[in-house]
Parts: sequence; C-alpha cells; structure tokens
Amino acid sequence: MAALLSETETQILPEAVLEEIPVRRGRGWVRSLDIYIPGVFLLALLFVCFIWPYLYTIPPPVGGSILDAGLPVGSPGHIFGTTAVGNDVMSRLIYGGRTSFEIVFAVQGLGLAVGGLIGVMAAMMRGVAETVAMRLLDVIIAFPAFVLVVVIVLGLGASEINLIWALAVISVPTFARVARAGAVTVRERTYVVAAELSGSKRWQIALRHVVPNIITSLLTFAVLGAGVVVILEATVSYFGYGIPPPGPSWGNMIATGQTTMSARPSLLLIPCITLLITVIALNTLSEGMRRRWGAVR
Amino acid sequence: MTVNGSGTTAGTGTLPGDVPAGRTPGGGKVLLEVRHLVQEFPVRNAGGVKGGMLQAVSDVSFSLHAGESLGVVGETGSGKSTLARSIVQAPPPRSGEVIFDGVDLVKLKRRQMERLRRHMQMVFQDPFGSLDPKWRVSDIVAEPLVAYRVGGRQERRARVDLLLELVGLDPEVHGVRHPGQLSGGQAQRVAIARAIALSPQLLICDEPVSSLDVLVQAQVLNLFEKLRQELDLAYLFIAHDLALVKQVSDRVAVMYLGKFCEVGPSESLYEEPLHPYTFALLKSIPDPDPETGRVRSKDVISGELPSPLDPPSGCRFRTRCPRAQARCAEEVPELRMVGEDHLVACHFPLSVKSGGDLTAVGSAVAPDTASS
Repeated sequence: MAALLSETETQILPEAVLEEIPVRRGRGWVRSLDIYIPGVFLLALLFVCFIWPYLYTIPPPVGGSILDAGLPVGSPGHIFGTTAVGNDVMSRLIYGGRTSFEIVFAVQGLGLAVGGLIGVMAAMMRGVAETVAMRLLDVIIAFPAFVLVVVIVLGLGASEINLIWALAVISVPTFARVARAGAVTVRERTYVVAAELSGSKRWQIALRHVVPNIITSLLTFAVLGAGVVVILEATVSYFGYGIPPPGPSWGNMIATGQTTMSARPSLLLIPCITLLITVIALNTLSEGMRRRWGAVR
Repeated sequence: MTVNGSGTTAGTGTLPGDVPAGRTPGGGKVLLEVRHLVQEFPVRNAGGVKGGMLQAVSDVSFSLHAGESLGVVGETGSGKSTLARSIVQAPPPRSGEVIFDGVDLVKLKRRQMERLRRHMQMVFQDPFGSLDPKWRVSDIVAEPLVAYRVGGRQERRARVDLLLELVGLDPEVHGVRHPGQLSGGQAQRVAIARAIALSPQLLICDEPVSSLDVLVQAQVLNLFEKLRQELDLAYLFIAHDLALVKQVSDRVAVMYLGKFCEVGPSESLYEEPLHPYTFALLKSIPDPDPETGRVRSKDVISGELPSPLDPPSGCRFRTRCPRAQARCAEEVPELRMVGEDHLVACHFPLSVKSGGDLTAVGSAVAPDTASS
C-alpha cells in the first residue's frame, strides 16, 4: 500500500502543491467599525442595565418619596431628575432598559429557535408540508403586528412574560420565513446533492449543511428585528397594554412623560432619545453584520 | 493489487485493496445498464402557469461494464448532466430502468437506494459549489465515511489522510483548510477524494475539469487515469469536449438534444465518425499545428440547439444536418449497430476516409441489427 502510494504520488504531488494561494487574512479593524461602534455601545448599555445596579446602589425605580418629586435634570443624586411622583429617572431608564432587553432576548431567542426550526424543516420536507406550513405562517404575518400583540396581551393579561409570548407570535413566523428562504437557497446547492450522494440523511444535511450556512443571516435578522421588538414593546407599553405602570419601561416612561411635555420636556426626551439610539445601534450593527457575512451563500 | 474479497465491512486503513464483495476487478461484468431512460421537467411560464414538459433526456439506453470508462459528450443543454443525475436518482428519472449490479434503482425505496448509493459516487463540474464553504477539507472527505458509519474516529482520520494523499494533497496542510482557501484544482481533488472515500464501483464525473484551467485540467485527468487503474473504477465521464474525453474513455457516446446519436469505441469513433453531428464535432476541434495551415472546414455546423421544449420531428439533428432528407423529418432514427460495438442513430450515416471526404455508407449498413 505505502509503496503503491509513494511510487505514483511523486508525479502528482508537486504540481498540486505548486498551485498554492495565500490564506486570506482578516479585514482591517477600520472596516469593521460599523460592527464595533454599535456593538460596544450596546454592550455598555447591557452592562449598565444588568450589572451596574449590583455594583453601585442606585435609587429604586418605583416607590420614590414625594419629597423628591419633580427634581430637574442635574440634581445631586438624581442625574436625570425625578418624575412627578418622585421616582429617579436614571433608575427607571436602567430598569426599563433591562425589561426591554429581557423581552428582546426572549422574543428573538424564541423566534430564532422555533422559527428557524420551522423554516428549515419546511424547506427540507418540500412539497405539501412546506406549502401548508408557510401559508399558515403567512396568515399570522398578514395580521397587523401591533393589533395582534395587543389582543394577545389583553387575552393573557398584561405582564412581562405575556408580552414576551405575544411578541414571539410575531417574531416566530418572520424568522421561519427568513430561515426557509435561506434553506431553500442552500438545499439547491451542489454540496447538498453531494451530501445526499455521500449517504447523509436529511436531518444531517439540515443540521450540518443548511444551518451553518444560514445562521449568520438569521443572526443578522435577529439583530435587525431586535430594533423592531424594542419599538413594538415600547409602543404597546406606551398605550398601556404592556408593562403595567408603575413598573418601569421605556414605553410607559414616554407615555407619562408626554403628559408633562411642555413643563418637563426632559421626562419625554430622555427615554425617547435612549430608545432612538438603541434602535439605531441595533440597525447599524445588523447592517455591519450583513456586510461582513453577506447574505446566504 | 490484491483483492480483498471480504471488504463489505469496509476496512479503513487500506484503500485500493478494499473491494466490495461480489466485485470482479477488471472483469467484463455489466455494472450499469440504462434502458429507455426518460427525464422530464415541467416548465412554468410567468405566473406559475404550466408551460409544457421539457424532455431533457429522451429514451437513452446504454450499458457500462465494470472498470470501463464511457465518455459522454454533447453541447450545453444536450442533457448530459441530467442523464448523470438521473442515474444516481437525484432526482429519479420519469421512466426507464437504471440497472446497477443487477438491481433496478428506479424501483428501489429510498432506504434501499441509500444503501446502494455508496457504490456510485459523483464528481461535479464546479468544485467550489460541491464543497460546503463552512466545512474543513478533512470533514468534507470524511462525510461519506461518517454517513455510512465506516470505522471509528481514529480509523476515519487515517483513511481521510490516505485519501487526501491519494489525490495529491497534503493532509497536514490542506486538510485543515476551508474550500475558500483552495485553488480550483485542489478543490476538485478534494471532491474526488470524497467521491472515492467509500470505494465506489462507479464514478460519475459531470464535466469535472471544465471549470479548471488547461494545465490543471491535465493534472486532474491524469489523476482520474491513475485512480481508475488503482481502484478499478468504472467511469461515466461527461464533458463537452471530444478531445478531452478521448483521453479517459474506452467508449464514447455523443449526445444531442436528449438522445444518443452515436456510441462507439473511442478509436473508431474518432477515426470513423458515422453520425454527421459527431463528424462536425470532430471537425470543430482546433488543429494545433499551424504548419499545416488547414482552413476551418466548411462542414462545421451552424445554428443553435433547438428548444428541447419543442424538438424537431424525426431526427433531432435534422435542422442543422447538412445531409438531412425528407425521411429524417418523418422517421426517428434508432440506434443501430453498424461497426464492431459501434452504434449510430442516423438514416444516412457517413464513413470518413483519410482525406476527409464524406461518403455514404448506404447499403453497407446492416438494416437495424438493433443493440439490445
């Protein structure tokens, strides 16, 4: 055996080694700024929302003293001032952000896992099963998202966990659509045919060829959709169907801030600007990811 | 080369030796027999309206012996690749029989087909397209071994290294790379290594060198030749270039618009083409010798392949054939035996003398001594 290889190998090996191409190096960090800047900002925001309160004592977001009510921005101990009932705005912003991020992670996590599974399975099964599954999801997508969320929350009762379920009903079908679109592209690739000929089962192909090739676009979509979920959650809370007051949420902060808009614009502007920057960061990050990884190959 | 008759459990360390049971190396056993194979695809017009059936392969029959190499040539769109895909049942043909080692694959259930598939593997035209960009080379080559549960982790790794060496790659260097870090030739070598991982009896090569540059083409063709000798493979070698197929084929089949128009041993087909289409194809090979200064033949066919949605009546080549007559439009010419093992589907086949003149074989042709 070994002899057989060594005899014939010498004729073929050198040429094959000759046609070398250099291994591509990573791109310059400057080109990745559209990932780093929003990424670092969002990480900082996550840090402030989830870890900061444990490291430093901050005023509670609810149950503030009426004696502190209506403090302006820049007051000692209350950087962003206090609300009309004396709650610290900074603290409400942090706890509201925590609520928002919890909801976003849960909703997009559910969407990615469940929707991704449905989409990939539909694409791999092909035929009637695929059509039926996707048309059913289209029905959900056809509903106005906001109305659907409100109806579900009203049915289940307003709470953070119910808001997550309601928003997941919106995100799962959209993820399923994106996953199926990617999976359909991948399933037609020659390497999937080659995998079939190699004896790989359909679930093996789904798990080891399809998923790795669509996961980046799904993650990109998850970040893009996160911006939508943040806004949707804020909107639902704004209308009073989401996080029940006095529980902190960017949405109901905007709602209450609006009532004193002319007297205390900061109560409205601070949560609005925070929401705006967060969504811009999420969208920029998503765009950067898309540019970096591209669409489904 | 020693023949290991009890190779069913697929030994992992050795490669050229482990021949699957029941295989006679180099023997004249018929390995693959294709009978009246038809493959069609529905064509949808704008708006999903059904626009008719595209018959990509229509009534193709041939047989391939163990260890034999059959080249299939034809223009783009002649149905070569569809033929290859139909044989490996991806997707299964619309009708006809594909008898591999005595079993009709078309009738098999999915499970049974999966079990048989390890004996026939495929190499595709686009080496990068057939390799998952997310996988490392060593994992790609190991995929069939994992799928068929050949050996343990260690044994598989040893076999992958052996396979990579066999196709002229360095397991240490290339094994850890991703397809994007390979050249076209290297990528095709990886695809070949994967295809021979399970020691198949039949290797279907769908234009395996068309996307490579000429120097690399020659190397990869040499590799195919080498593997054929060492592993006792039968090839179905598809290409659109007659000159290229000549090198690797015992017999050559010329395909036109979904049908075989001529099948014969390489030498006699090249020296004495009988079908006007084959003749035209041979004429279109550029003469590498500028000294002779030969002017391009007037007989080179013009025009384009007719739409397979609406093939010409009778002989499908008649619209471009310089010798077409009334009969060609009425009667479909069947493949018939003309010379020794030489079949042609033409009412008025040629015989070509050394000067290059066309002379009708005419009455010399035995009437319809059909093949099988």
